[in-house]
Amino acid sequence: MSSELAAFRATLAQAIGADHVLAAVESTAPYAVDGVCPPLVLRPGTQDEVALVVTACAAAGVALVPWGGGTSISVGNPPQRLDAVLSLERLDRVVEFDADNLCITVEAGLTLARLQALVAEKQEVLPLDPPNADRVTLGGLVAANLSGPSRLLHGTARDWVLGLRVVLPNGEQVRCGGRVIKNVTGYDMNKLFIRSFGTLGIITEVTLKLLPMPEARASVLGLFPALAAATSVLESVQASFLLPEAMDLLDPTAAGLLLPTLGLASPTGHLLATAFSGSLATVDRQVRDLEALVAGQGGRVLTLRDGASTQAWQAITNVLGSVPPDLLRVQIQVAVPIGRTAGMLASISARAAEQGLSAAVTAHAASGLLRAALLPAPGLPADSALEALAAATLALRDEAVALAGSLTVQAGVPAFKARVDAWGQPGSGFATMRRIKDAFDPHGLCSPGRFLGGI
Amino acid sequence: MTHQAFVQSLRQIVGAANVLDSDVHLQLYQYDAYLEERRPDAVVFVHSTEEVSRVVKVCHDFGVPFVPRGGGTNLSGGTIPFKGGVVLEMIRMNRLLEVDVPNLRARVQPGMFNLELGNALAPLGYQYLPDPASQKAATLGGNVAENSGGPHCFKYGVTTNHVMGLTVVLSDGEIVTVGGEAPDQPGYDLTGVFVGSEGTFGVCTEVVVRIVRQAEGVKTMLAIYDSIERGSETVSAIVAAGMVPATLEMMDQLVIQAVEKSLSCGLPLDCATVLIIEVDGLKDDLEAQTEAIERLCLAHGAREVRVAKNDAERALLWAGRRGAFGAVARLTPSYLVCDGTVPRTALPEVLRKVAEVGEKYDLQIPNVFHAGDGNLHPLILFDWRDAEQKERVMKAGMEILALCVQLGGTISGEHGVGLEKMDAMRLVLSEADIRSQLKVKQAFDPSDLANPGKIFPAPLEVAHVQ
Repeated sequence: MSSELAAFRATLAQAIGADHVLAAVESTAPYAVDGVCPPLVLRPGTQDEVALVVTACAAAGVALVPWGGGTSISVGNPPQRLDAVLSLERLDRVVEFDADNLCITVEAGLTLARLQALVAEKQEVLPLDPPNADRVTLGGLVAANLSGPSRLLHGTARDWVLGLRVVLPNGEQVRCGGRVIKNVTGYDMNKLFIRSFGTLGIITEVTLKLLPMPEARASVLGLFPALAAATSVLESVQASFLLPEAMDLLDPTAAGLLLPTLGLASPTGHLLATAFSGSLATVDRQVRDLEALVAGQGGRVLTLRDGASTQAWQAITNVLGSVPPDLLRVQIQVAVPIGRTAGMLASISARAAEQGLSAAVTAHAASGLLRAALLPAPGLPADSALEALAAATLALRDEAVALAGSLTVQAGVPAFKARVDAWGQPGSGFATMRRIKDAFDPHGLCSPGRFLGGI
Repeated sequence: MTHQAFVQSLRQIVGAANVLDSDVHLQLYQYDAYLEERRPDAVVFVHSTEEVSRVVKVCHDFGVPFVPRGGGTNLSGGTIPFKGGVVLEMIRMNRLLEVDVPNLRARVQPGMFNLELGNALAPLGYQYLPDPASQKAATLGGNVAENSGGPHCFKYGVTTNHVMGLTVVLSDGEIVTVGGEAPDQPGYDLTGVFVGSEGTFGVCTEVVVRIVRQAEGVKTMLAIYDSIERGSETVSAIVAAGMVPATLEMMDQLVIQAVEKSLSCGLPLDCATVLIIEVDGLKDDLEAQTEAIERLCLAHGAREVRVAKNDAERALLWAGRRGAFGAVARLTPSYLVCDGTVPRTALPEVLRKVAEVGEKYDLQIPNVFHAGDGNLHPLILFDWRDAEQKERVMKAGMEILALCVQLGGTISGEHGVGLEKMDAMRLVLSEADIRSQLKVKQAFDPSDLANPGKIFPAPLEVAHVQ
């Protein structure tokens, strides 16, 4: 290992500069993946350097995990092998901002917050709002198909990516898509890499469609003593002509974490937060309609506009980040058919309570996606705590799968992941997925073992 | 194995009446809306996923290629059985299996026409948004295979943005169900990769689509220009003003004249171009949006802007646009539809250059296009009986595609590569790009029986490398 490793390091130092080949534990420790500290961290500075690094890794049989902002690195199973982390942090340039065509091309390591600030100068916006925008990189956003509350109106990264550049596991650079909004030139290769979690190659460049900045934004927050009242409002909105940008539903624990920020001190309850954007006339009308619906169900109403609305949504989006820290904390994401979302929110609380866990649950209520932080009771021995966490998670997975949905582990300590597979059982189509993985990464060098079914 | 043994195996699965192999029948399945023809060895009418699986399995066992066919409206040769074999006639799998309003989904069979789904959802107050101009005759399975667009894509996206799940039969007969009711299924996005694969990954036998509430209101207007350049400038001006209309469609004078001859929609015959602009959404600002767009059109040289006063007037405008390809067919025996796409702001330039190509090759090229998407459809008119003219048409078509690529665009926005644009693929893709796409093809269809001989150009001569 040592002489080979030394030769390999020398090759890399030649390619990207010795300063960007990190091997000292104090430099590599922050890049630990599921508790495993990588022997090397590589920080190429250009897309061509990424290709050089990956080519060298392929030649040496070095297993890589790509790293953008690290916000989704906890998603997935522990890597089967980890020889190096490939950090894209230095790839943070704007390649081309074509404001007239509502289109921007950036390197994969640029953060979402920086992109938003830049396009805002031209009154444009990328309508994707996952948590941690200040750290999420565009490459990571694509690799994990991240989304936030506004997926209700605007969808996910899948709906906004026009083109990608990817370094394949063999070091070849390829382009997918382009920069036009309709493109059927060959297969839709963007879709292959979106949500592939670094298992098919390294995304180095992203081209995205943008939207004009809306004239107005407002939010109506309704606090309800009972879940049924919140659900009733939700269903009324879905049956109406209203076009909310986001509808998030928070259980009392998650809502409780937010209330001080929002100025809704007490009493507690379920929080239904609805965002509207568009022309002032349509926003005003929708705010009025929703205020009436909330009041009609006995909810407390708080309406926020513009800056206050934006701030509230930042807090709502990041609410699970404000759950008190716990060493054994587990975060899950549950996907169910849209109409089952509120029911699943109640199930998560119930299953957690059965196992003596505390849970904070938040849902994109009209999109079928929920996220929850699960914490063990204080003072419980670690083994019992892990058992309880695993039991609740697996019970919830069974419920989600029975509804044609899924449960994925977003974060958990290695001992938890040893008990619960991050993705669950592969279903129909897995043989094709496996063949795709084998065709692109025959030696299993890109994030090996982290994805579905051991991919 | 003999043809007879093969056909006998197919008949055992679907019944004798559902397998056609007489000359007359095969002749009916040798063409689509593109210009090439190739005769299949058999046509099989299929009725269920299981039946498709069994038929495909027999094809696999006999090593016979198969091509699924919906409405046969494909413009790039996607449904032509290029290497012979079986055409799977999907048209009897045309049922709406389920409308699930609480979960905003509909489950449909692939042989259903796009418009039929729209008509079934409308009474419930819901809609399926992608609306290719051929929606009367184009099937949803075909829409999935081609990732079809349509006039409303500027605001709402194309087929892939609205397909949530699929049931497909792979070339060994395996039935695979991907995506569906819940979002964000773990694993690779096979649904997303399958949409737009032009029948080369397998046969789609069921589609789960996203449905949405109908808009509260809609306004449709017609802006009339004496200069095509000013018309296309307006498109960018509307977008620059921060508006996102549902549609921004253009037709030029030749198309308008053809449309009026066949449909009489009340379009002016003497103008250079018209823009059909539609805004939809909540009623509260539609009037204001309409007025703002009207002002912009006039400021950019429109000689007149008409706003449809009622559904009948609106329907008439759309009948003209949707009937454009059909109407142009009255002008000459054949036409080649180009499908290049450019960044929106390059529209005036590309239109000028398309006109130059027409002059250079002495060909008439009317234009009808999705201006908001930057997706043009120059229609190169000719007579297929004139071999010399056809050669000029093919050269002109290729030159137009190259133009689109030079201006930052691509060779196909929504009609697919099929047989038509295989040779144009290298205008856009590198050899590594092509290799990576072929890896996906091999993963789905290792035996290369699903619609073979399409999309990819012939490999470069090995001699180059020596």
